[in-house]
Amino acid sequence: MLRVALPTGRMMKQAIPFLEAAGYAPAESLNETRKLTVPSQCGRVEYLLVKPVDAPLYIEQGVADAGISGKDVLMEVGADLLEPLDLGFSKCRMVVAGKPEIERKLDNLLSPVRVASKFPRVAQHYFRKQGVPCTVFKLSGSVEIGAVLGLSHYIVDIVETGTTLRENGLVVHEEIADCSARLAVNRAAWYAKLSEVRDLLVNLKTAVEGART
Amino acid sequence: MSGDVKQLSFPPGTELVFGPQAARRQFISDRIAGVFRGWGFTEIILPAFDSGETFEGLGEPGDETELYHLVDREGRQLTLRADFTLIAAKALAMELRRDARPIRASYEGRVYRFAPSGHGHRVEQTQRGLEWVNAPGPVYDAAVVMMARESLQAVGADDAIIVVGHAGFIHAVLGEQGRAERRLLEALDHKNPSRIRQLAQRIGLDSDTAELLAALPLLTGGPEVFESARKFNLNAAAQAALGELESLHSLLTEAGVRGNLLLDLGEVRRSDYYSGFMFKVYHHAVGEDLGGGGRYDRLFDRFELDVPAVGFGFNLARLAEATSRDDYTGTSSESVKAGDGAEALKRIHDLRAQGKPAIMEGGA
Repeated sequence: MLRVALPTGRMMKQAIPFLEAAGYAPAESLNETRKLTVPSQCGRVEYLLVKPVDAPLYIEQGVADAGISGKDVLMEVGADLLEPLDLGFSKCRMVVAGKPEIERKLDNLLSPVRVASKFPRVAQHYFRKQGVPCTVFKLSGSVEIGAVLGLSHYIVDIVETGTTLRENGLVVHEEIADCSARLAVNRAAWYAKLSEVRDLLVNLKTAVEGART
Repeated sequence: MSGDVKQLSFPPGTELVFGPQAARRQFISDRIAGVFRGWGFTEIILPAFDSGETFEGLGEPGDETELYHLVDREGRQLTLRADFTLIAAKALAMELRRDARPIRASYEGRVYRFAPSGHGHRVEQTQRGLEWVNAPGPVYDAAVVMMARESLQAVGADDAIIVVGHAGFIHAVLGEQGRAERRLLEALDHKNPSRIRQLAQRIGLDSDTAELLAALPLLTGGPEVFESARKFNLNAAAQAALGELESLHSLLTEAGVRGNLLLDLGEVRRSDYYSGFMFKVYHHAVGEDLGGGGRYDRLFDRFELDVPAVGFGFNLARLAEATSRDDYTGTSSESVKAGDGAEALKRIHDLRAQGKPAIMEGGA
């Protein structure tokens, strides 16, 4: 039996129809249960219900053989995982945003730029790659306020429609990555449970393609 | 009190093992050493640090953040051993210049590579492995896989899976243009077809190559992957590499090495010294690989030597996680009371003279 990590909350709600369509419907309602593990009706899979930010680590360490995780979380955690399928839901963009008047180019700032983010690792990595010295402030929520109140020049955050940015008078300065939910697989499980993992991959792929058409 | 607690901790990722776990590690190491000796390998003891250039080419180019550097009192820049094959190659090159011949060398020790804390990664890793130089062609490739298999059996990890790929195959498929794009190698390593397609298009690879690259993540399995790969338009170098891998596979099959062997045409490595077949070992109970190795025929070029070589190593901590057998806990021993003074010492003396285990107990 494959152990599959599912991030609780919004992503789980979006994942359930795909899991059902792929033939891995949970044996009980995941939205209502307080259990931490729930088998699928077919008995081929056991779901581990975990906090979204913890999912990559469970998969990397092999506690879960596979799982669903947002690309944003995968980037931030930086776990060493296989990523064989883009599930296509929970789409968003990881961006650098700030007030529109910050028009100084990122690459000719003299003093370290100040960046607020829920994704400090992504922010650090991105600015370092641009050769821009930066100081990153890790915030837990409402990151926009960091740029609005002047804590930071920029924020690094995920945006779906951009409404929150607009309502706070912020604009996107740079795009870092397109994010969406991904099927992530543990390296050892890819080989040691080859046929089960392959079935899960193929069935989910069919469900994803079915949802697109 | 808080000061005491601080004194009683080691930096994250360092290795500390004692008690039954250490006994298990020792058992595993001894068993593997026994297998290597049985194939005629002798021990090589290598420096724990060397000048940084020995470890060039490990990890991301230009990014040496995985390495541990130190400076001695005479101002020498030194690097802690981060890889056995690279430092062993240098040591063997000295010997080969004096007398070119096949050498079978085995080693055990630690390598040091930085890993960010919070992931449970070890920065100190104990490896036991071997280097076989002047060992050309697929027969030696097969022998090395057989030794790995025998080692796994010797430690009770029979159900571990050996996954075999070929560095030359990926190299040929990517071509010069593809190899230059580090992110493409990363996407291949993470078996991410949509990212592979995106990057292949961005750097302008032709559509045949892009389709083959995107298909590689699924070319894992039995010998049927050869046929699947040949459906694509392969260049001569890719066909040659595939042929090599196929003959390795049939040699192993003929030699009776069956089962728990998988092929993975999409396997890529971060160490860029591999030139031919390469393999990794996985076990269902451990999330990361237990070890691996392969062929590196161009490794000695840097020492102006033309030496075909193969080798592999096991990560002993992960191998210990994969083996649950309990036959390494030692034999039962007689205990002697320290309070009995001279009598106790005499009894121990007699037991030890007979080669029997004895434990003195009852101290403070």
